[in-house]
Amino acid sequence: MATMERSSMLLAFCALWSLAALAESAVNYAHLLDVRPDFVDPRGVLSGWSPGFDPCGWRGVTCSESKNHVLALNLSGCGLSGTLSSKIGGLRSLETLDLSSNSLSGSIPSEIGMLKNLKQLLLYSNSLSGHIPPELGLLKSLKVLRIGDNSFSGAIPSQLSNCIELEVLGIAYCQLSGGIPPEFNNLSKLKILNMEKNRLGGTAPEELFSGCNALRVVSMADNMLQGEIPSSVRELAELRTLNLANNHISGSIPPELGKLTSLNYLNLLGNKLTGTLPPVLNQLTELRVLDLSSNNLSGTINAISTMHLKNLTYLVLSNNHFEGSISSDLCTESSSLQNLFVAGNSLTGTVEGLLSCGSLRSLDLSNNTLTGTIPSEIDSLVNLENLVLHNNSLTGGLPPQIGNLSNLQMLSLFHNGITGRIPVEIGKLQRLQLLYLYENQMSGGIPDEIANCTGLEELDFFGNNLSGSIPEMIGNLKNLELLQLRQNGLTGRIPPSLGYCARLQALALADNRLSGELPASFGLLAELSLVTLYNNSLRGPLPESLSSLKNLSFVNLSHNKFNGSISPLLGSNSIVKLDLTDNCFSGEVPSAIGGSRNMTRLRLGQNLLSRRIPNEIGQLRWLDLLDLSFNNFEGNIPIEISNCSRLKHLLLAGNGFSGEVPAWLGTLNALGELDLSSNQLTGGIPPELGNCSSLLKLCLQDNSLSGSIPAELGQLTSLNVINLQLNNLTGSIPAAAVKHWQKLYELRLSENYFTGGIPPEIGELVELQVMLDLSKNQLSGGIPWSLGKLTKLERLNLSFNQLDGQIPESLQQLTSLHRLDLSENPLSGEIPEKLSVFPASSFAGTHLCDAPLSSCAKPMDGKMARLSNAAVAGIVVAIVSTSAVVCMVLLCMLVKVWSKWMEVSVSNSDSDAGEEGFGEKEGVQGGANGKYWKVEAMKTVGSSEKQSSASETCTVDKDGGN
Amino acid sequence: MAPIPMLLVLLFAASPASSSNSEGEALHAWRARLTDPTNVLQSWDPTLVNPCTWFHVTCDPQNRVIRLDLGNSNISGPIGSELGRLEHLQYLELYRNNLKGKIPAELGNLKNLISMDLYGNHLQGEIPKSFAKLKSLRFLRLNNNKLTGSIPRELVVLSNLKILDVSNNDLCGTIPIGGPFANFPLQSFDNNSRLNGPELQGLVPYDFGC
Repeated sequence: MATMERSSMLLAFCALWSLAALAESAVNYAHLLDVRPDFVDPRGVLSGWSPGFDPCGWRGVTCSESKNHVLALNLSGCGLSGTLSSKIGGLRSLETLDLSSNSLSGSIPSEIGMLKNLKQLLLYSNSLSGHIPPELGLLKSLKVLRIGDNSFSGAIPSQLSNCIELEVLGIAYCQLSGGIPPEFNNLSKLKILNMEKNRLGGTAPEELFSGCNALRVVSMADNMLQGEIPSSVRELAELRTLNLANNHISGSIPPELGKLTSLNYLNLLGNKLTGTLPPVLNQLTELRVLDLSSNNLSGTINAISTMHLKNLTYLVLSNNHFEGSISSDLCTESSSLQNLFVAGNSLTGTVEGLLSCGSLRSLDLSNNTLTGTIPSEIDSLVNLENLVLHNNSLTGGLPPQIGNLSNLQMLSLFHNGITGRIPVEIGKLQRLQLLYLYENQMSGGIPDEIANCTGLEELDFFGNNLSGSIPEMIGNLKNLELLQLRQNGLTGRIPPSLGYCARLQALALADNRLSGELPASFGLLAELSLVTLYNNSLRGPLPESLSSLKNLSFVNLSHNKFNGSISPLLGSNSIVKLDLTDNCFSGEVPSAIGGSRNMTRLRLGQNLLSRRIPNEIGQLRWLDLLDLSFNNFEGNIPIEISNCSRLKHLLLAGNGFSGEVPAWLGTLNALGELDLSSNQLTGGIPPELGNCSSLLKLCLQDNSLSGSIPAELGQLTSLNVINLQLNNLTGSIPAAAVKHWQKLYELRLSENYFTGGIPPEIGELVELQVMLDLSKNQLSGGIPWSLGKLTKLERLNLSFNQLDGQIPESLQQLTSLHRLDLSENPLSGEIPEKLSVFPASSFAGTHLCDAPLSSCAKPMDGKMARLSNAAVAGIVVAIVSTSAVVCMVLLCMLVKVWSKWMEVSVSNSDSDAGEEGFGEKEGVQGGANGKYWKVEAMKTVGSSEKQSSASETCTVDKDGGN
Repeated sequence: MAPIPMLLVLLFAASPASSSNSEGEALHAWRARLTDPTNVLQSWDPTLVNPCTWFHVTCDPQNRVIRLDLGNSNISGPIGSELGRLEHLQYLELYRNNLKGKIPAELGNLKNLISMDLYGNHLQGEIPKSFAKLKSLRFLRLNNNKLTGSIPRELVVLSNLKILDVSNNDLCGTIPIGGPFANFPLQSFDNNSRLNGPELQGLVPYDFGC
C-alpha cells in the first residue's frame, strides 16, 4: 500500500510535472502568437507561425533541447515593420532576442525587463524611438546589448549599469542626449562601448575609464562631449580602439595615453585639443591609425617618429597649428606609413625630410607655407599614388623624375611658385587621373607627351604662363572630364582631336590668344556642360554640329570674333548662362532661345544681331539678366519680357528700338538696372516705372522721350543714378520727386527742354558726387542757395540755361568740386572768391565779373574816399597789428599757428575764412589728372562709338565693356 | 585619403584659385562677414566670371572694379581687409552704415583710390599709417566714427588730398601741419575732445595728450 501509494504519488507527480511542462510550453507558444500581431510582415516570414505546427520549428524560433523553452527569437533582416509588442515580456525563457535590421517603430516596451534570462538583445538598425527603458537594468544576465541605429532620444538610463555582465554595449547612431552615467564604472566586464553619433554632452567621466578595465573598444565619436580626456584613461590597458572624434574635448593630449600600449587606433579629430604632441605617443608601438586632425594643436610634428611607431600606416595631423619643418625622423626608411596628411598647418621648410619614407602612398601637405623645390629625388617615393602639395610656396621646376612615380594618380601642386616647363616625362604617368598645376608660374609649351596620360580625368593648368599651342593629340585623353587651360598665353587653334574626349564635361580655354575656328568635332562632346572661351581671338561661324550638344549649361564665348548665327548653341535646352558679348554674331535671335527654361543670364551685347527680339524670350521666367545692348535690334520692346519677372538687369541700350517705354516695366519689381539709352524711343516716361522700387540705375538718355518727369519717380528711393539727358523732356524738374532721391550720386538731365527753376530740393541730395548736370535746358531763375550743401559733388554743370541773378556765396562750400560750368547763362554779379580757381570758360557767356574774368569795374578811389575816420583808425591799427604778427612770424611761426587754433576753438568760429590757396592746386590738377576724368566718360560716350565700329568691321579691339 | 571633390562649378567659378576673378572673390569674402538685413548684397554671386554685374559695384571697361557704393545700406560688420585687393578701386563709399571694428591697414594698398567715404559708422582704432600710400586720394571722410589715436603725420605726403574730414571722433594728439594739412579748415577736426591743435614741431610731442 505504501509502495502503491508512493508509486501513485510518483505517477501523479509525473503527470503533474508533464502537465506543468505542457502548460509552460503552451504559455510560450501562446506568447509567440501574442507578439506576432504587432509585427507587420510584408514578406510573410511569419506565415508558418500557426498553432497547427510545432512552434520550435517556426521561423526564427530556437527551443531548448527539451523543446519546452523558447531560448531564442531571431528575426533579423526579415523586413518586419510594425512594433515590438509588450507581450514580449511573456517569453520569459528567452536568452537571445534579435530583431535587428528591420523597420520596427515605436518604443521598446518596458516589459522587456521581465526577460530575466536574456543574454543578448539585438534591436539595432530599426526605427525605434522613445526613451531607452530603464527596465533594461533588470536584465542581470545581459551580455550583449546592441540597440543603436534607431531614433531613441532622451538620456541613457543609469540603470543599465546594473547589467553587470554586460560585455558589449552599442547605442550608437541615435539621438540620445544628456551625459554618460558615471555609474557605468560598474560594468567591469564591458569590452566594447559604442556611443557614436548621438547628442551626448557633459564630460567623459573619469570613473568610466577607471572602472571598466576590460574595455577594448571605446567610441564616443560625433557627440558633444566636453572637458578634457580623463587621465584615468591609463587604466584601460586592454584598449585597442579609442575614438573620440568630433566632440568638444579640450585641454591637451594626456601623456597617460602613452600607457595604452595595446592601442592600434586612436582618433581625436575634430576637437578643441591644444598644446603639443606628447613624445610618449611614440610608446604606442601597436598604433596603426593616429588621427589628431582639426584641433588646435601646435608645436612641431617631430615628436612623432615611425622609428618607434613601426606599425603606423595612417598619420593625420591636418588642420592644426603645427609649425616648423619636417624632420627626417618623422618617417624613416623602415616605416609602414602609407598615408601622411599634415595639410592646413603652418609648416615651413622643404619636403626633403620625407624622401626616405618609401612606404608612402598618399602625402598631403597642402595649405602650409612650405618652401624650396620639389626635389628630384621625389622618385624615391616609389609607392606614391597621391601627391598633394597645393597652396604652399614651393619654387623651382617640376623635376623630370616625377615621371618615375608610375603609381601616381593624383598630382596637385596648384597655387605655388613653381616655374619652368612641364617636363615631357609627365607622359609616363599612365595612371594619373588628376593633374592640377594651376596658379603657378610655369612657362613653355604643354608637352605633346601629356596625351600619353590616358588615365587623366582632370587636367588644370589655369593661371600659368604657358605658351605654344594645345597638343594636337589631346584627343587621346578619352577619360578627360575637365580641361582647364584658362589664363595662359596659348596660341594657335583648338585641335580638332579635342572632340574625341568624349567624356569632357568642362572645357575652359578662356583668357588665351587662341585663334582659328571652333572645330566641327566639338559636336561630338556630348557630355559638355561648361565651355568658356572668352577673351581669345577665335573667329568664324560656330559649327552646325554644336547643335547636338544637349547638355550645354554654361557657355561664355564673349570677347572673340565669332560671326554668323548663334543658333548652333541653342540645341541645348539646359542653358543656364549664355554670354556671347562682344563678337560679330549676326542675324536674328532664334526663337529656340526660349527652350532653355532655366536660363538666368543671357548676354548678347555688342554684336550685330538684328530684327526683332523673339517673343519666346518671355519663356525665360528665371532670367535675371538680359543684355541685348549695342546690336541692331529694332521694333518695340516686346511685352513678353514682362513675363521675365525676376529680371534684375534689363540692358537694351544702343539699338534701334522704337515705340514707347513700356508701362509694363513697372511690373518688374526686382529690376535694379534699366538701361534703354541710345534708342529711338518716343512718348513719355511711364509713371508705372515708379513701382520698380529696387531700381538703382535708370538710364533713358539719348532717345526722343517727351513729356515731363512723372512725380511717381519719387517712389524710387533707392536710385543711385538717373540719366535722362538728350531727350525732348519738358516741364519743370519735379521738386516732389527729387527730394526722395536721397541715395543719388549721379543726376543727368541735360539736353532737354526743362523749364522753371532749379528746385532747391536738389540741394538736399547730399550724396551727389559724380555729376549734377542740368545743362542745355531752359531753366530759369536763380541758382538755389541750397546747392552749397552738395559738399561731395565733384562736377556741376548748369551751362546753357536761362539762370540769372548772382552766384550764391554758398557755392563756395562745394569743396569737392573739380569741374564747374555755369557758362551761357545770364548770371551777373561777382564771382565768389573761392570759385575764382575755375577757368574762365566755366563762366563764359555770362555777365559775371571778377576773377577769373575781368574785375568788376568799381573805382578803388571812391571806396577809399568814403572811409570814415573810424575806419581809417581801424586800418592804422590793423597795419600796426599786422606788423606785429609779421614780427611774430619771423620769431616763431609755429606759435602763430597754435594761437590761431586757440582763437578759433574758443570762439567756435563758423566762418570758413582763411584757408587761402585751397583752390590753386585744384585748377591745375583737374586738367592734369586725365585718368581721373575718364571715370564718367565711359558711360555716355561708349555707346555710339561702339556701335559704329562694330557695324563696319569686326576687327575692333576687344577692350569694350560688357 | 581625404578626397578632393570634383565640383565642376566650384572649380571653375568660385575656386579660391581663380585669380582672374580675385576682385569678386575679395568682395565675396568680405560679404561673408557682413550682416545685410535689407539684402542689398543679394546679387553678389561669386560664381560669375567677374563682379561687374553685382549691384553697388561698378567696373571699368576692362572689368576691373572702380566703385563700391554701399552708402546708407544698413550693412553691419567689419571693413574687410580683402578690400585692399581691389587694386583699381577709385571710390570706396561705405558711409552711413553700422560698420564696426578697425579700419584695415590693407586699405592703404588701394593706390588708385580717389575717394574714401567711411563717415557715419562705428569704426574704432586708429587711422592707418598705411593711408600715406594712397597717392591718388583726394577725398578722405572718416567723420562721425569712434576713431582714436593720433592723426598719422605720415599723411602729409598725400599731395592730392583735398578734403579731409575726421570730425566727431575721439582722436588725440596734435594735427599735422605739413602738405595738404596746410589747407584743411579747422572744422575738419571738430569734436575730437582730445585733439590739441596743430602740432608745434619741437615744442609739443606729436602724440601730446594721447
